[in-house]
Amino acid sequence: MLKKHPLIGFTLFGILLFLLSNRVDELRVFQGATVAIYVIAIASIILLTGYSGQVSLGHGALLAIGGYAAALARNHWGAPVWLTFVIAVLAAALGGYLLGLAAARLSGPYLAGTTLALAIGLPSIANQFPIFGGEQGLLYDIGMPPASLGEDFTQYKWYFWIASLAALLAIYWLRNVMASRYGRNWKAVRGNDVAAELAGINVGRNKVLAFTVSAGLAGLAGALLAMTISTVSPGAFPLALSFSLATGAVLSGVTTLGGVMIGAVTLVAIPEIVDTVVSRFESSDAVANNLPGLLVSTLLILTVLFVPNGPVEQLRARREHRVNK
Amino acid sequence: MVQFINMLLIGIGAGSIYALMAIAMVLVWRSTRVINFAQAGMALLSTYIGFELVQKTGNFWIALPLAMILGALFSALVEILLIRTLIKHSTSGPVAGIVPIIATLGLLGFIRAMIGFIWGNQDIQIQPPLSKVGFKFGEETISLSPMNLLVLLSVLAMVLVLGFIFQKTSLGLSLRASAYSPEIAQLAGIRVGAIRTIGWAIAGAAGAAAGLLQTVNGTGAVSPDSLEFSLLLTFGFIAAVIGGLESLPGAVLGAVVLGLVLAAVQIYISGTLVFIVAFALLLLVLLVRPQGFIGTKAGRRA
Amino acid sequence: MIRTNRRKLALTSAVLAVAAMTASSLPAQAASDPGVTSTSIKLGITVPMTGIASPGYNKIPGAMKAYFDYVNANGGVNGRKITLVIKDDQYIPTTAVAKANELILKDKVFALVGTLGTASTKAISASTQLAKRGIPSLFVNTGFSGFADAKAYPTTFSILPSYQMEAKIMGKFLKDKYADKKLALIYQDDDFGRDALAGFKQAGITFTTAIPYASGSQSLPATGAGWISKLKAAGTDVTVLFGVSSASTAALANAYAAGYKTQWVLGSVGGDATTIAATNKAYVPLLYGAKGFSFAPAPTDATDEYIKLFQSIYASAQPTQTFDNNVVAGMSNAFLAVQALQATGSNLTRAGLIKTIETKGATFASPFLTPLGYSASSHVGATGYWIGTYDPTGALKPDGGKYTVYTTDSGNGPVVESSYKRPAMPAKGLPN
Repeated sequence: MLKKHPLIGFTLFGILLFLLSNRVDELRVFQGATVAIYVIAIASIILLTGYSGQVSLGHGALLAIGGYAAALARNHWGAPVWLTFVIAVLAAALGGYLLGLAAARLSGPYLAGTTLALAIGLPSIANQFPIFGGEQGLLYDIGMPPASLGEDFTQYKWYFWIASLAALLAIYWLRNVMASRYGRNWKAVRGNDVAAELAGINVGRNKVLAFTVSAGLAGLAGALLAMTISTVSPGAFPLALSFSLATGAVLSGVTTLGGVMIGAVTLVAIPEIVDTVVSRFESSDAVANNLPGLLVSTLLILTVLFVPNGPVEQLRARREHRVNK
Repeated sequence: MVQFINMLLIGIGAGSIYALMAIAMVLVWRSTRVINFAQAGMALLSTYIGFELVQKTGNFWIALPLAMILGALFSALVEILLIRTLIKHSTSGPVAGIVPIIATLGLLGFIRAMIGFIWGNQDIQIQPPLSKVGFKFGEETISLSPMNLLVLLSVLAMVLVLGFIFQKTSLGLSLRASAYSPEIAQLAGIRVGAIRTIGWAIAGAAGAAAGLLQTVNGTGAVSPDSLEFSLLLTFGFIAAVIGGLESLPGAVLGAVVLGLVLAAVQIYISGTLVFIVAFALLLLVLLVRPQGFIGTKAGRRA
Repeated sequence: MIRTNRRKLALTSAVLAVAAMTASSLPAQAASDPGVTSTSIKLGITVPMTGIASPGYNKIPGAMKAYFDYVNANGGVNGRKITLVIKDDQYIPTTAVAKANELILKDKVFALVGTLGTASTKAISASTQLAKRGIPSLFVNTGFSGFADAKAYPTTFSILPSYQMEAKIMGKFLKDKYADKKLALIYQDDDFGRDALAGFKQAGITFTTAIPYASGSQSLPATGAGWISKLKAAGTDVTVLFGVSSASTAALANAYAAGYKTQWVLGSVGGDATTIAATNKAYVPLLYGAKGFSFAPAPTDATDEYIKLFQSIYASAQPTQTFDNNVVAGMSNAFLAVQALQATGSNLTRAGLIKTIETKGATFASPFLTPLGYSASSHVGATGYWIGTYDPTGALKPDGGKYTVYTTDSGNGPVVESSYKRPAMPAKGLPN
């Protein structure tokens, strides 16, 4: 039933999250919000890479566009919160469109490198113009949760609600897009662009469109990320963020949206798990400082070696294999 | 006039550092069609090994070739253990585009963490083997020192040796053949696997030279997260791409152009623009002349 | 049914609201604040232990811990032993917020200490709502003047003088000493450098050549050489370097390589010889003759009683590490934290701690050679600088043989010579 009516599934999952948010402590709620934001950002990479075959290592830059757009709209025009999210999506989508125009002419490593250079170059723009607030960045305050939610409704729970709702809507919408003509076109382009061209699909336009949509989602994630830390600054969107998101996408399985939670949860959970493990032992600084990095990178290497398509796709393939037997 | 000459010298000096890295990236690209984002990490590891060797032997001139050999071995090992399996598992589909990139990024993180484990997260120091004081012409000290000259000569030597190998030897023929068409090369009796490993090994040696020379030519300090190496990777990559990614002279040319443009921007316009200009240059070349300065048109979409 | 429930809800929330109001108007009880028991105080710090900004800064927590352990071994603070929980934020604001949340919500620390970096400090303060929750953030390590504003950041205290103060004092010095010389400035083109520009402007200084650089670009091979080539062409006499220490290194090394002589004037951030020595010992002699600014005693000054004590504590706690300015910064930070906790008394609360620093902070014992500016309206720490000259070993020696301190504010206030004399160190270096 859930397969046929995804809306019911999404609603049930939403209710589950809602109930959960009242049961867990403040830290988990904050981490939950971070997971939801990663879900959106990773989905945007999966859409780009898994469905249209383009690679971006500079998604952090697109998140930054979204974050800054939202903060500027809020601080300068006093835009209501929901509108700042819309503006974030539009601004990042515009940036993505421009980047997509360049990207459609490039492939694989060229695109990866270009987006990488963008991620390094963009933050220095923030320091060029005083409107972006320089190194310390801008405040982005979405305000207190509505009083009607009660006295003890915390700020982080409010963030969690907003981020979860945004993630649910984004994924639901993305699912529908994938099933539409656009989604099929993207897949065709990804599979073989010559064949797609012969089938009458405008390859270039579809690639640009995919980049634009992906960037819009990234912009939303950027605004939400800025919301959780109440600020935007160049340092909040470092190269490491872009790499983490690409990592999350591969851990999730880059060809399917189904595993998007896996990557998001892993990215949030690993540092904390390592912290807990390390604090149990009286280990040296060198070990404690480098263990998280070591663990994430080892996990990444093992994933690409043994389940390059991601765990979900792997399971599906194995099941199909068994059925076919 | 003096400033202009200095600008040229500074640009070429910086370009020669980028060139060493660009050469390593081109070699890996040609042999396996992978952009090795761990190249900087491997160069970093070689630099640390070079540091240990300088400590043990007290002689930079022994440490440099040994570090290059060890760098080559490590690089070959990476190809055998990681890249080979990777190429076997994911040859097609969207993952084929992203998986090697992610794998090398993973390797980069792994190497950094291992260096942090072994050597800690503080700076280590290597002293330069040659003077960094510029040559004097009359009263004027120019922006070219014996150390700069060593880097320049290393690049030149590397290009000549590699050029000789590629153009004049049967190994070179095999390297070129397996780069352009692995299947046909295989049919022609070339052991494509072994040839790929050799490509990676040479790149590892070039990367080791890039790492050590950049360090002693620069501040002499290295840490696992050294910004110098992240920049070396990015600028080496930009140089390789604007040079065409297929050709060694192209990589060197790209690196020198990049070095000159950035030096000119820094001296005549503003030092705040270097990163933006580097990105703009990359984008410009990709849009106007996608095959790079030297490169075939088909390359970009491969 | 629904109605009764609603009414019940309204009633409950009214009761809750009243309870909350009463609770907040009562003086907070020791038992109610997290992180403090009758035998312990838990503090937390987020710093870059790994990542680009980590070398140097990652020694700060170890230095703080060394001093806290020393205090613990001598009976603790009013009988309480201090533990320090250390988190790695990699200098990334998002990570810093996540780690600060772990410290506050999971480790339940009493206060944050020594947060580093302007963007991270700002993000932590806003996102975790330090002010609303009354969580003290002691002695943040940033020169952004905003954190000294008690209205905007009521629970946050700075420790460093602001960059603007430094530039104002430096400006006066340039005017007094090099009035007829051609001045040049190399500065980082972000808030750090721009604060300095504002200060120089206030001091009425004009530079013949001003060279901005993008943060990070000093690590490119051509950058330093480019600066020197420009300075040479302009023929400047005095060059002010207002950047990070890697920029100082690039400038000094390339000036040496180009045979270029100028009178260097180094800002306190990038002018620390011990940090430059940690990059490369070979550069230390290049500092010889340069002017430097500092508010703490030089880490090489073993005649200073604080430095002597810190050196001996650190040598036994971290025998393999060198004693440098980062260590002095960390231990001074820890010293001030202990002083503040001690002065708050045995009934230790967050509100009490903040109140104590605001009322007694200006009279705290401290290793710094400048007065502390803590008051109810200003949360600024050190308020000035002394000026010195580097000797061939890289030690910054005060001009005129004794520490002459100049103080000012981050606004329009004048630069004045201070009559402040640092009180003698409390016995055994344990605040009382």
